[in-house]
Amino acid sequence: MSVLEAKEVRKQYKMGEHLVNALDGVDFQVEKGEFVAIMGPSGSGKSTLLHLLGGLDGPTEGNIILAGQPLARLSERKATLVRRHNVGFVFQFFNLLPTLSAEENILLPVIIDGKDQRKYKERLNSLLELVGLTDRRHHKPDQLSGGEQQRVAIARALVTEPAILLADEPTGNLDSKTGTLIMELLNRSCNELDQTVIVVTHDAKAAAYADRVIFLRDGVIVEELKPPKSMPLAERLRGIMGTMEKLEA
Amino acid sequence: MRLTRLLTFRSIRSRSLRFLLSAFGIVLGVAGLLAIRSTNQAALGSISTLFQNTSGLAKLTVTSSAVDEAGFSEDILSSIQKLDKIKVIDPMVTIRTDLADKERSQELDIGLFGTSDGGLLLHGVVPALEQMTRNYKLVNGRFLSDDLKEREIVLVETYAEDEEIVVGDLIKIITPNGDKELKVVGLIARDGPGQTNNGSFGVIPIQAAQEMFNRSDNLDQIDIVPENSNPSTAELSALRVELQERIGKEYSVTYPSGQGERMTQMLQNYQIGLNFMSGIALFVGAFLIYNAFAMTVIERTREFGVLRTIGMSRSQVMGQVFIEASMLGVIGAGLGVVLGIFLARGLTRLMEVILNQQIDNVLVSSPDIMFSFLLGIGITFLAAGLPAIQAGRISPIEALRVRGKSKEGWIIRYGWIIGILLLGGSVFLLVLNPFPYDVQFRLGSITVFGLFTGATLLIPVTVGVWEIMVRPLMKWIYGASGSLGSRNVRRSRSRTTLTVAALMVGVAMVIMVRGMTESFSGDLKTWINAYLGGDIYVTSTVRLRNDVGNRIQSLDGVAAVTPIRYFNVDWKTPTGETETINFMAMDVTAYTQVTDFVFSGNTVDPQQAIENLKKGQTVFISSVLAEKYGLSLGNTVSLKSRGGYKDFLVVGIVVDFYNQGLVVQGDWETMRRYFNIRDASTFLVKVDEGQSVEQVQGVIDDLYGKRYHLNLISNETIRKSVVTLMDQAFSMFDVMALISIVVGSLGVINTLTMSVIERTQEIGMLRAIGTTRGQIIKMVLAEAALMGVIGGILGLGTGIVLARILFIGMTTMSGYQLTFVLPPEAIGISLVMALVISQIAAIPPAIRAARVRILEAVQYE
Repeated sequence: MSVLEAKEVRKQYKMGEHLVNALDGVDFQVEKGEFVAIMGPSGSGKSTLLHLLGGLDGPTEGNIILAGQPLARLSERKATLVRRHNVGFVFQFFNLLPTLSAEENILLPVIIDGKDQRKYKERLNSLLELVGLTDRRHHKPDQLSGGEQQRVAIARALVTEPAILLADEPTGNLDSKTGTLIMELLNRSCNELDQTVIVVTHDAKAAAYADRVIFLRDGVIVEELKPPKSMPLAERLRGIMGTMEKLEA
Repeated sequence: MRLTRLLTFRSIRSRSLRFLLSAFGIVLGVAGLLAIRSTNQAALGSISTLFQNTSGLAKLTVTSSAVDEAGFSEDILSSIQKLDKIKVIDPMVTIRTDLADKERSQELDIGLFGTSDGGLLLHGVVPALEQMTRNYKLVNGRFLSDDLKEREIVLVETYAEDEEIVVGDLIKIITPNGDKELKVVGLIARDGPGQTNNGSFGVIPIQAAQEMFNRSDNLDQIDIVPENSNPSTAELSALRVELQERIGKEYSVTYPSGQGERMTQMLQNYQIGLNFMSGIALFVGAFLIYNAFAMTVIERTREFGVLRTIGMSRSQVMGQVFIEASMLGVIGAGLGVVLGIFLARGLTRLMEVILNQQIDNVLVSSPDIMFSFLLGIGITFLAAGLPAIQAGRISPIEALRVRGKSKEGWIIRYGWIIGILLLGGSVFLLVLNPFPYDVQFRLGSITVFGLFTGATLLIPVTVGVWEIMVRPLMKWIYGASGSLGSRNVRRSRSRTTLTVAALMVGVAMVIMVRGMTESFSGDLKTWINAYLGGDIYVTSTVRLRNDVGNRIQSLDGVAAVTPIRYFNVDWKTPTGETETINFMAMDVTAYTQVTDFVFSGNTVDPQQAIENLKKGQTVFISSVLAEKYGLSLGNTVSLKSRGGYKDFLVVGIVVDFYNQGLVVQGDWETMRRYFNIRDASTFLVKVDEGQSVEQVQGVIDDLYGKRYHLNLISNETIRKSVVTLMDQAFSMFDVMALISIVVGSLGVINTLTMSVIERTQEIGMLRAIGTTRGQIIKMVLAEAALMGVIGGILGLGTGIVLARILFIGMTTMSGYQLTFVLPPEAIGISLVMALVISQIAAIPPAIRAARVRILEAVQYE
């Protein structure tokens, strides 16, 4: 069953007097529980695609169907509600609220939705355990390391059990060791919680954790890798790097 | 210079709105200061020149020291003539009358100094002598001939125009012997002596005056022009003493210019308030500038950081901020001066209404302009100083690493210690009151600054506590976004502090102005209701005989009539000086039937006090006199009666603001016996229950109106015009309060806009994870509301204390014992106001926040 479907998605931007085709007919599906990485060189349109998938922006042509709901031409308010209930975001710069504790930051989507936080107690505890921050739940962001902050952000993205979790360069602002931990965490949420995850990255090492890697160039999908589950990480990484080199050449 | 062009000019251009808003603060401050200063001087100047002009070259004036207003015999002239050193001895008869066929007025001119019935004042003079004393500027016809019996008159041009009189006309005036005709032979300019009695003035030959008004061989005043036209103070004083000795104690010799002094003194009370307010306006202006500059520096932290990284020195950074400040100062102060000149004109017109006195055109002097201009620039520099230093201290690394987050300065961390000291010190000064009288008031002004600054410094450390207390309320109003917004105020404590302080000052000003207005007008209204008791106010441009009262009393529908007579009396104050105060005499029994005495405090049994007043040689004194000279029941006041100084027992203390409260009240009999006065100034008429006031007024008018030249005005009308006058006088204070409110709301806009810019990324994230625009708007509104609540509560506290300072100051200075009334609704209104302002001001930044583009924001580093 596909959770997410992109149909002939096109996106044009006006840059001064020129029209730029950021996405030029992108077509793909994502299955429930799948871990997808979107890769591509700078300007390939991968961030644009992520924004369209998350309902932050609408396509110029084509449509995106998220959890059975078409996203194109949604009103601003409906798009907001789709994001609130069906999408979890993880950003490069963590983007936590400095006034809230780790726990409160995780519960933020629940708070915004006006739901009773108490009903989420169990969910919160299991997420804190998942991201390994049970003992730091009352800390404020400025008392947490970068990796810890990103883990809080992941827990926040998971709290509403969204249809998809979208991560935009989640390791981009972290050292490689912490980055590895974060990717493992996303991988676990996929395997253990059956969470659909889409990661946009230019870091091959991060992409190696994915079940499937989609390569973009100049706004079109140029390649897809789907290594078997059993393939070791190092081998996957080699495959990805080879494809990247080929694309950049 | 290139640096300035690149950085400062561009910074100003990109923040032109804020630049203009901060300039606005200085413009208002400087304009207010200049206008008030100039208007005060113009008003004081007009009053003193009025007395100088109308007294001409006369340096001394001889009047009777008796108060019966019957004048004195001409015989005295011969004994004065024996003195040398005197050039002109100018005798005069003063007559109050009116044109016989003039429409009787239904309006009463009311001013800060009392009422004017608009009648015609005539001076009976010896034309030759009078022209040597005063410089009449003839604009039409001729001056009086030397025939002292000729029935002719010279009028003031403007009066003649108003009454449609031209040279050659015969006019009829009211005299005790019926209407008499006078021929108008000339018109004089309303200038110099033409300013007498606000221009309702004319001169006639002295003997004609004496004949027509039964004043045979009788004078009211003799003006003395000495040989030396410009005598030194010592010479003049010597001459005065010599003259006084020669003519004896029955006469007083005074300096004519001295009459202006009392008016000036009265004006001062009002000016204290205005000066105080203009000081605060300037403080508020400075505050706005500080706020704006602090914001700019926070906003440009990154820019300054980059500049420091590439090698700009601290002093260069500070220099750039100061250049911006000086531009702001010059532009703001310059515009302020221009606005001030215009404002002074408007203020003068208002002052004219309040004083019921024409004021010469305001001349804004260049020293005043210079002073206000430099003060404006100076204050801008001072206000911009702290932000400039902060800008210089920005560390390059910090600025580049963390966006817009500057380390909290020691003022935020430790300022509360200074704050407590300042608050403690101010309260200590207030309670201890170590310097009574004049100095105390100046000290009061210092404590104002102490209080504001102290309270401001306490905000940063207490902001967390406030937030926790108010958060549930915000959550209740705005839901989850309310709770988020509420917490945001803790994030930039310095900025929150500035905004809260701006709101605090605004609310404090409103509380102070409202409190003062309410207290003042509360007392004033009680008094006016008593003073204008009854239903109809009967007055006349000519003397009222007491039997007019009896006649009115006998009419159907009239319940009671009391005569009232005001006259001036010399009083030997407990400090040994002689002061002229007002004696108000009334028929006590009738008076209590028409209206009530307003006793000050509960020190006396009203019934007993009234009985005591009837006994004679007793008086009620005003609370102003009691306060000013520390008098209480059982003391005596020494008043100059026809038989010399007599002691009158104080049997009551009453609220009476007539003649600025320099007034005593006594029984009709006491007046007759000790001061030999028999006529009335006014009658207060009370109408029978169920009777229409207009009807009774009509009956009196039909029967006696024309015969006794009565002006009948319903007290309701007068009360209304008095209230209007009061409102006009207080409106200036309201304007000042309004300015503070505007400044407060500008502060809110400033702060929240800054916060929104700074948190763009965060807002983007919130939007990305499903926060609606409405929720974002609520979040910003909640943040503003919280600041509104804190500012409102602190403003309420400081406002009450400030109002008290002003009260103590005014009581000590003027003797007005005011009851401090803080209307409970004012508390509610000011809190609601702070909230409403904060919400209105938060709308633009909230909309800006809601419009944050998610895509740009989340990538915003």
